[in-house]
Amino acid sequence: MRSLRHVLITLLVTMLALGTFASAQQVVDFWHGMTGSRVAVLEQVVGGFNEIDPNMQINPVLMGTYEEGLARFLGAYPVGQEPPLIQIYEVGTQAMHDSGMIIPAYQIPERLGEEWDFGQYVGPIVRYYSRDGNLWSWPFASSTSMLYYNADHFRAAGLDPNKPPTTWDEVHEYGLALQAAGVVRDVIGFGWPDWQFEQQLALHDQPYVDNDNGRADHGTQVMWPTEFTDTLFAKWSAMAADGVWLYAGTEYSPNSGFTSGTLTMMLQSTSSLDGIMRTVGDDFEVRTAFIPRFNEYPRGNSIIGGNSLYVSDKASDAELRVIFEFFKYLARPEVDVFWHKNTGYFPATNAALKQLMDEGWFQESPNHLTAFLQILSGRTDNGNVVGSRIGPFVDARDHIRVAMEDASRGVAPRDALNRAAERINVLLQEWLEFAQ
Amino acid sequence: MRKHRKELLNLATHAVLILTLIAVAFPVYYAIVMGTHTHRDAYAFPPILIPGDQLWQNMLVAWERINLGRLAWNSFFIAIAVSVGKIVLSIMAAFAFTHFKFRGSWLLFPLTMITQMLPLPVRILPAFYLMASFGWLNTYWALTVPYLASTTGIILFRQFFLTVPDELSDAARVDGAKPLQYLWHILIPLSLTNIAALFVIEFVYIWNEYLWPLVVTTQADMRVAQIGLRMLYTSERAAAEWNIVMAGLFMIMLPPLVILILLRRQFAQGIAMQSTK
Amino acid sequence: MNRFPGHNILPYALIFPTVAVIAVFLIVPFVQAIYMSFFRISPFGRVRVYTGLRNFEELLRSPEYLQSFLNTMLFCAIVIGFGLGIALFIAVLATQKIRGAAFYQVAFIWTYAMSPAIAGVIWALMFDPSVGIFTALLETITGFRLNFTTDAVGAFLLVTIASIWIMLGYNICFYIAGLQNVPNELKEAALVDGAGPWKAFWIITFPMLSPTTAFLIFVNTLYAFFMVFGMLDVVTQGGPGQATEFLVYKIYRDGFARLREGQAAAQSVFLFIMVASIAGFQIWTSTKRAVYSR
Repeated sequence: MRSLRHVLITLLVTMLALGTFASAQQVVDFWHGMTGSRVAVLEQVVGGFNEIDPNMQINPVLMGTYEEGLARFLGAYPVGQEPPLIQIYEVGTQAMHDSGMIIPAYQIPERLGEEWDFGQYVGPIVRYYSRDGNLWSWPFASSTSMLYYNADHFRAAGLDPNKPPTTWDEVHEYGLALQAAGVVRDVIGFGWPDWQFEQQLALHDQPYVDNDNGRADHGTQVMWPTEFTDTLFAKWSAMAADGVWLYAGTEYSPNSGFTSGTLTMMLQSTSSLDGIMRTVGDDFEVRTAFIPRFNEYPRGNSIIGGNSLYVSDKASDAELRVIFEFFKYLARPEVDVFWHKNTGYFPATNAALKQLMDEGWFQESPNHLTAFLQILSGRTDNGNVVGSRIGPFVDARDHIRVAMEDASRGVAPRDALNRAAERINVLLQEWLEFAQ
Repeated sequence: MRKHRKELLNLATHAVLILTLIAVAFPVYYAIVMGTHTHRDAYAFPPILIPGDQLWQNMLVAWERINLGRLAWNSFFIAIAVSVGKIVLSIMAAFAFTHFKFRGSWLLFPLTMITQMLPLPVRILPAFYLMASFGWLNTYWALTVPYLASTTGIILFRQFFLTVPDELSDAARVDGAKPLQYLWHILIPLSLTNIAALFVIEFVYIWNEYLWPLVVTTQADMRVAQIGLRMLYTSERAAAEWNIVMAGLFMIMLPPLVILILLRRQFAQGIAMQSTK
Repeated sequence: MNRFPGHNILPYALIFPTVAVIAVFLIVPFVQAIYMSFFRISPFGRVRVYTGLRNFEELLRSPEYLQSFLNTMLFCAIVIGFGLGIALFIAVLATQKIRGAAFYQVAFIWTYAMSPAIAGVIWALMFDPSVGIFTALLETITGFRLNFTTDAVGAFLLVTIASIWIMLGYNICFYIAGLQNVPNELKEAALVDGAGPWKAFWIITFPMLSPTTAFLIFVNTLYAFFMVFGMLDVVTQGGPGQATEFLVYKIYRDGFARLREGQAAAQSVFLFIMVASIAGFQIWTSTKRAVYSR
């Protein structure tokens, strides 16, 4: 009898001890959408943080694609199943702002009684994610689009790999030359095709929606079709008719065509850079260049893509503390540099950028510099060039993709885009009506 | 002459059947062979159709990548719990509908109708919110309880109970047996084939369920194996590592397959029963 | 019927769990879905505005919804037509008086154990634009390069073939069971009367199989309407464009991804009407059969 009591007491004490140990440890769930080769890189970064303090742990949970992560967060929050920390792609920016579910990033240090210098983040990222001059989400994995090309293919077709095409007309010419030389059947594919349409608008200083591209206030209607979009879609249609442009699916699906050598060129996010180089290895030489444009239209800029980090407003102070420490850790130059070098995302801080330049990294790997030069050499002074911000962005992109598929099948530019414009205008109106 | 022709016909029948069987089995074979190669060999052209020696390594990678141990355990637990629960509930209800005269007996037909007419997608959003209001999201409750009613099972057992001669229950009653004693000691031992058939049907069904687990779970450790397959496949779409995907797929498809093959005779009898109802 | 008189409460207790589960998890949510369909719900769930029949009107006028409906019907028709045709053919062969018939009867069952998601991934490999055997074969024969990630027809074909494949085991099993119930005397009588085996099949066996066929049409319809979800979500996500955004996938996307719960609820109601009519048809045929076989 006594031994039983003894056992029970020991058990109780052990449980209490374990309980206190467990309660000192704060684990924060972190939903992310880093698919493909980036999963391992993200896990290394988070693993580095988790080693610092056993009581402060980040638990990365892959929620599938960006789109799913956004939808699941918005669905989980009202029923109390949301994570404190989530990675959201740039498309979800306005939706997250309007959701009323988050703590704006700039308020996080305040809430903890700390200070943080947001000036340390690089300009283009800050501009994209700021509202009224304040950052609403935490800079993390920012990218933009650029042109990838297979230099070996260029050589095989007698083209100079040091002179990549800079305009759409040149892309078209190069494509015909590559076909004539029998190098490839299809020449160029677009990753994230919907995003490439947005890039082209910004690159030529054209608005997507009204109200300073949705940055001054909610957009109420789209600002196209215009003469510019006619030119753009007519060019794309013509390229598709010649088999130069292949509509190669959404998101990252053209990557396999490029890495296996069935496509010579690809517009794709910078975040694919390291994954592509690892897959290609020594098979051929991968080079990168600026996104092609039309010289007869004004210069704008390429826009930021990728994702940033949001914090649920239901996060407890203890969770917030862990999250803020994690943010500080991400801003360490060595962490940021590691992230950049292994993914192709922009380094987020000026300090990391400086370290990379001092190391001579960009001479060593010029492909990592391309997108930087592109975005730093463009305009920065209005909503058109910083990029649009609209509520029903996910849906809008569905319609843009349909329009682009139509264009690739030879539907007239106006017809394709009018249909999309009609649908997106309805979405914008519904957003104004119901999202407030 | 006639006999000769008949033999020829038989041979042709065999040939067609075997060819069809090969055609049906080939995709699975090809998928598994993919799982036995290195990444490079998986991308070889022309494709290598004989198995390599990388299956174990690939399985380990897949297992680690999506934490398959946990996911498979969830699927297994849920499948067993639902199968057993459904069998118990169906036997109870079928017993009531066949051995008693009571005012609720008209319910059988409407219940059957309702379960056939209200599959999950026509009630998915409110069902999700219902789970949320119970606090059942990310729990086994949400993954099991809503599945428990099965009119398929009720009908299966009802058909069988109706074939059991009245003399058995009369004798039991004369011996002073209570209804549940009769059910437990006489009827259930007679129903083992049906129980096994329903077990296969339900185990396969629940192991393969997708939409509901997708909706009611968000935490990594509450996911099920089918969702794991999606994670494995989607996360590699950029440069599909078919060898890893297929090694994972192999593990995920195995449990229901093994159960079906082990209980194939009972399953076939259950199907025969259903088709002659 | 009443083999245990005097037990008045017991039968109610026995059916209670089943009735309770059906009431709480089937009926209540469905009634709520009908209720929700009259509201427009804000993307973040904060505001509900009563909008009467607006959700239904918009659906009926929406070209996307119409397209989704037509695609679903086409998919369903192909899965039933080809699926049952092939299954019947194999089942007839496997029930001939040949050696090893029992082997074939179990050898085809196993596709039943494959989930739609598994089948989808297996066929995605067959259809893979760069390494898929099916794509390579098709290109050698026709010169046409199929890419299911970009090509609407390719994606539709992939989903359809994988679905026919996955249902094959189940369909064959049921047809074998059905064929074994056809009395041999009838067939032999027809043959004696001078009908060829082909004709004997169509005038005797096939009509005798009609209950099985009706049941399988019902089950395959349920598959095509609902069960296929896992395959779509893993392999095509409804794309490219909306080629494989079937009704069930559209409800999920609108409800959970596009944050349009009211519209999704309205789709649930439409879907219910479709299922109810199919289920009604199935019950009508099975009662007709009961009369017929007497």
